Amino acid sequence: MDIAEFRAELHAWLDAHHDEVAPPFAPPGTLDERIAQMQRVKGILYEAGWMRWGWPERVGGLGGSPLLRTELGAAMAARGLADPGVYSLVEVLAPTLIEFADPDLAADWVPKLLSGEEMWCQGFSEPGTGSDLATLSCRAVPDGGDPETADTWVINGQKVWTSLAQYSQRCVLLTRTGTPESRHRGITAFFVDMDTPGITISPIEMINGEHEFTEVFFDDVAVPADRILGGVHGGWGVAMSILPYERSSCFWQRIAYLYPRVQRLVDAVGDDDRAAEAVGNAFLALHTVRSRSRATQHRLAAGATLGADTSIDKVLMATAEQTLYDAMRKCAPGVIELEDGAAGDIARIEYLYSRAATIYGGTSEVQRNIIARRLLDLGEDR
Amino acid sequence: MDAADRSLLEETVRDAVTAAAVDGDRVDGVLAELGWLEMLEAEPRDAVEIVFTALGLVNGVAGVLDDVLATALGVTSSPEVAVLLPRFGSWAAPGGEGLLSVRAATASVVLVVDGDGIATVPIGALEVTPVRGADPAGGLHRVRVVGSTDAATPLADGAWDAAVAAGRRALGHQVAGATRTMLDLARSHALDRVQFGRSISSFQAVRHKLAEALVAIEGLEATLGAAWDDGTPITSALAKAAAGRTARSVATHCQQVLAGIGFTTDHPFHLYLKRTMVLEGLFGTADAIVLDVGRELIRTRTVPTLIEL
Repeated sequence: MDIAEFRAELHAWLDAHHDEVAPPFAPPGTLDERIAQMQRVKGILYEAGWMRWGWPERVGGLGGSPLLRTELGAAMAARGLADPGVYSLVEVLAPTLIEFADPDLAADWVPKLLSGEEMWCQGFSEPGTGSDLATLSCRAVPDGGDPETADTWVINGQKVWTSLAQYSQRCVLLTRTGTPESRHRGITAFFVDMDTPGITISPIEMINGEHEFTEVFFDDVAVPADRILGGVHGGWGVAMSILPYERSSCFWQRIAYLYPRVQRLVDAVGDDDRAAEAVGNAFLALHTVRSRSRATQHRLAAGATLGADTSIDKVLMATAEQTLYDAMRKCAPGVIELEDGAAGDIARIEYLYSRAATIYGGTSEVQRNIIARRLLDLGEDR
Repeated sequence: MDAADRSLLEETVRDAVTAAAVDGDRVDGVLAELGWLEMLEAEPRDAVEIVFTALGLVNGVAGVLDDVLATALGVTSSPEVAVLLPRFGSWAAPGGEGLLSVRAATASVVLVVDGDGIATVPIGALEVTPVRGADPAGGLHRVRVVGSTDAATPLADGAWDAAVAAGRRALGHQVAGATRTMLDLARSHALDRVQFGRSISSFQAVRHKLAEALVAIEGLEATLGAAWDDGTPITSALAKAAAGRTARSVATHCQQVLAGIGFTTDHPFHLYLKRTMVLEGLFGTADAIVLDVGRELIRTRTVPTLIEL
């Protein structure tokens, strides 16, 4: 299906079904309410077919360019039907299952994620493992000692910053299966059921008062060998495969989410040049990342392999998001800092969340390291 | 034009512009031989991207901006035709006072746009003074219309806005080329320069400045692509604003990395710095465009997404 045609039909459908898909609560709502809303809307959109476009037919999709599903996520973000940060787990984890899981497993599980029946989380970071992911130490050992013949693997260790684990039925989990020094060569990915005995989840309160992140503890957690994604010691490839989606479709959706925030800003400000300058700067930064991201989506859809070049998108994205929320704070002094009503809550939650834009998904410093080494070919940094 | 043709043309234009700039020949003549005007008519996007990027990359000077503007105003261009540019920092139709490009050297007539329309004025009827300023090699002239000119012909609605947009895109590509060269110069210096027993390119503080410069340039090029795809004046305005911001950011980072040598006229960096300082003022500085766009968003209380997948 043609992308412009899809967009027009999708928006017409969303207009016609506005009452059905709109959140049943007044914004901002609680995280519980927002997650329930997202899953409900995914169900409605799956039923109506929209949620299936852009996904392969072998996992319950209707085929077509991946741009179609990118467009759907953007429409949901722009209309306030689902938070792009929360929704992004669909964009990053479904492709992982499709690429690396046994085809039957993928055919069974991906429709559950798309239709809102399930949520999945991504267990990558650890207390000692942030930017340098290859040092992770959460351990998986084959039951009986032989990785070739074991039916079960036993996992021990801890993950942190695991988004939405408390709501998730499954987890794409990276574990250490090689020696502690094996770095990226000794990592294996598992698709773990979150109700397996031995898993404990402890939510972390973020600076905006929400509990999106968790710590997840694994204490002798037994996982069947057929839940290995990408083979034993193939986990690094699984982790790296997520990057193109995290930096393409997810960004397009976050950008779509930010335009209504600029609208909120221009609706609120007075007609003065100080406000105009702040609005103009935010709009320029957002237009710049939208322009860049648009080109990236088209490259991905044309079959290009995305790599270090998406570090540019990440830096532009973080800059745009923080420029916008800085403009909001500048133009409406006292709202974020003092106001206790819903408008204050929304502005505060979003503003504080935006402080992480230069941190999550690879810090801006790590992005600049990648740009320097891989795109500018400046050699080693030591 | 397919990718291979385009790549060949890029190389040809860059080599020709470089050779002409080095020999002191007129770059205009070289571009004319390559069929610039025909290319501008047949494939305007490729033509403008390739020629203006090349000018930026090698710090070349040519009257090609006049061709872009004349064409956008619906006038058949030639080396005989110049277009009066708005005053420095402005994009309003210039009327009685403005700037001329290096085209002043060959032009016999100047297209003067004001609120009433467009007039074709013999160059002899204008007071034309060469500008030295920060960039004496840039070829700009200050112009005043003295005495009365023939009555202006009305312009089609939006024709001046379209010319401004076309000029902004062209200048945006020139800035993209110039900043690419600044980054190349700083990168080479960082790799070659050894201090404390190691190449300074191994210091993270230096690497991050160069990375920031690349982010800005890639962002600018993306806005230029969006401006061509979209075609409405606002995306070209935003691309020119991005060009101004990029020029300042890249110049600052690269100058810091180049340090002492970049502060001398022995090194070519200063030529690019000064050229982009002048280019920023043509058809609006970044600050002025950003303010204008912000005012418009607030006035209309509307925030368009401008470009779609």
